[in-house]
Amino acid sequence: MYELTTVTKDYVRDDRRVLALQGVSLTVDDGDWLAVQGPTGQGKSTLLQLLGALSRPTSGTVKLDGQDLSQLPDASLTRLRAESIGFVFQFFNLLPTLTAQENVEAALVPLKVSAKERRRRAAQTLESVGLADRAAHLPSELSGGQQQRVAIARALVKEPRVLLADEPTGNLDHDTAGEIIALLEARWREQALTVVLVTHDNAIAQRAGRVAVMRKGRLTVTPPTMRQGVAES
Amino acid sequence: MFVTTYLRRELRHRKRQAVFTALGLAVAIGTVISVASASSGAAKAQSTVLKSLYGVGTDISVTVPWSKETGAPGHMVQPGDTAQQLDFLDSPAMGLLDASSVPSIAGARGVSAAVGALILQDTKFDMPAAQPKPGQPEPQMTPPKQVTVDGVDPARTRPGPLAAATVSAGRGFGAADTTADVALVSTNYANANSLHLGGTVTVAKHAFTIVGLVDVPQNADPRDVYLPLARAQAVGELSGKVNTVYVTATSAADVDTAAKAIKALQPRAAVTTADSLAKAVTGSLADTAKLADNLGRWLSVAVLAAAFAMASLLTITSVSRRVREFGTLKALGWPTRRVTGQIMAEAAATGAIGAALGVGLGFAGAAVITRVAPALNASVASSPGSKPVQGMIISGDQGQAPTTQGFDAPDSVHTIVVHLTAAVTLGAVVLAVALALAGGLIAGGFGSWRAARMRPAEALARVE
Repeated sequence: MYELTTVTKDYVRDDRRVLALQGVSLTVDDGDWLAVQGPTGQGKSTLLQLLGALSRPTSGTVKLDGQDLSQLPDASLTRLRAESIGFVFQFFNLLPTLTAQENVEAALVPLKVSAKERRRRAAQTLESVGLADRAAHLPSELSGGQQQRVAIARALVKEPRVLLADEPTGNLDHDTAGEIIALLEARWREQALTVVLVTHDNAIAQRAGRVAVMRKGRLTVTPPTMRQGVAES
Repeated sequence: MFVTTYLRRELRHRKRQAVFTALGLAVAIGTVISVASASSGAAKAQSTVLKSLYGVGTDISVTVPWSKETGAPGHMVQPGDTAQQLDFLDSPAMGLLDASSVPSIAGARGVSAAVGALILQDTKFDMPAAQPKPGQPEPQMTPPKQVTVDGVDPARTRPGPLAAATVSAGRGFGAADTTADVALVSTNYANANSLHLGGTVTVAKHAFTIVGLVDVPQNADPRDVYLPLARAQAVGELSGKVNTVYVTATSAADVDTAAKAIKALQPRAAVTTADSLAKAVTGSLADTAKLADNLGRWLSVAVLAAAFAMASLLTITSVSRRVREFGTLKALGWPTRRVTGQIMAEAAATGAIGAALGVGLGFAGAAVITRVAPALNASVASSPGSKPVQGMIISGDQGQAPTTQGFDAPDSVHTIVVHLTAAVTLGAVVLAVALALAGGLIAGGFGSWRAARMRPAEALARVE
């Protein structure tokens, strides 16, 4: 469970101090699906980076299962990312020189899984996202939708507790975006994942259990009303 | 191994950069190996020259500068009423030492062995009569025929001039030859003068039986005839004299000690060590050695520095281009050390490729140097203080004032021609490979430093 308490985050850009988050407080329960919306440059990605232990807040606390991430050393944050947090990016961020299979395996490298087990798990996860026949292909040989499936497989292969997706459909056409969201929903349901998904797409956001809107670094969360309906439909 | 797969793919993907970096390192390494091999070849050639000037196994040579006091009395001859056939031995350009000094030198501190020798010159000369018979044309003087002769101790040929010799026919000297009228003749001299094994060679009007033909390397300053020392002293009328003492030190570290001890025993002697002789060597070989040592060293440093800088720059550029890739890896939970390890491994692999190519280039460079290098010469005075002209012939002609005609002592300056062989040594290869890997790792170090400083969030935010 995530607990964010009056979190602020600022940084300097072009000699100017930018206040990305201003007193954000938020709770995300285990197994929750939270969609974060808002105009570009309002702090959505910054929030995701704090949740993903990729950066530290300027003030306030970010707790995961009661552990204050801002107080953990870098090595512990790295370990946390390796074991518990999966990322899916808008531009897929696949390693261009590795095949789909190897890209998925890359997520298991820091976990010191044996090579044989690594290959088995990567192949199995690729199969679960419908890309068993594309395992030996380089990213450049795959469509955008296929690349995002590989990225999802990479995020899920380590069986994380949290999946953080930063506009995962932002670079895909409408139909492919629907497929990707359906895939994420299926895995969310099967693995009891906690999902925080940043999106500009209202339709996708409305399929989440809760929707938070970020404006000028401040977060407003709408009540959990729609998720049940989406899940049952 | 995932790391090797990733490494291989990255190198293949960035083939142009990898090849460019590896080639830069290869050129640098090739230059280092070529220069080192040329330097090593020059040093080897110098060593060969020094050995030849000394004799194998000799650390120190002792000679005495020529002076009126130390020089041989010489042979004063005048034209007579009839023509004369002159044949005499002399000690050209070198002063004489008492043979009794050899045991005292042998007993000096730091000396392991000392052997005396008498380097002589046999001059055969037809002197016409002072007054030609009436009606006969004035006789022309024929140039003197000179034969180099070395009196050596038959019982001990090492150290000394025969140490590098091989017997091509017959036998060498033995202890039984000490007082025998026997000679060893160089094969070249024998062939040129139709001498053969079992025949005789005449030195100072004395016949010596040829018991062996010897080959002394051309660069080892061969003499024409070798006689037992005692016999050379006798026929040269230089009994109890030597003019060169070959000395072996007890160890390389003792050469200076031995030289000082000998100098104390023989204050007037020129005590020549390898170092002092090397300084006295002039000619293209010395120039080449200096060139290889000085210019070659700085050229190597400059090329290495340029290659290292280029490799570092290319690696940093590459890391800059791959910021989001490394950010992704950090997001996946790759520790910084693993990310930097990946960069270091790629750089080290490039360095290894550069090393392999560089070793090949180095061998090629050394082969080219060996092939195109002109013959090098090394010149050195045969003995410090030697006078340039020896053997004055005094002649008079029909009441005119006597004139002098001199002929150069051929041994006053040794000029030895050697071919530079730029051989690649294992040490040079190991050094070059280490340098290439170091170059790769330095470049990787810069790249890793840059990658380590990346915050994953900032790296992921980078738009490519």
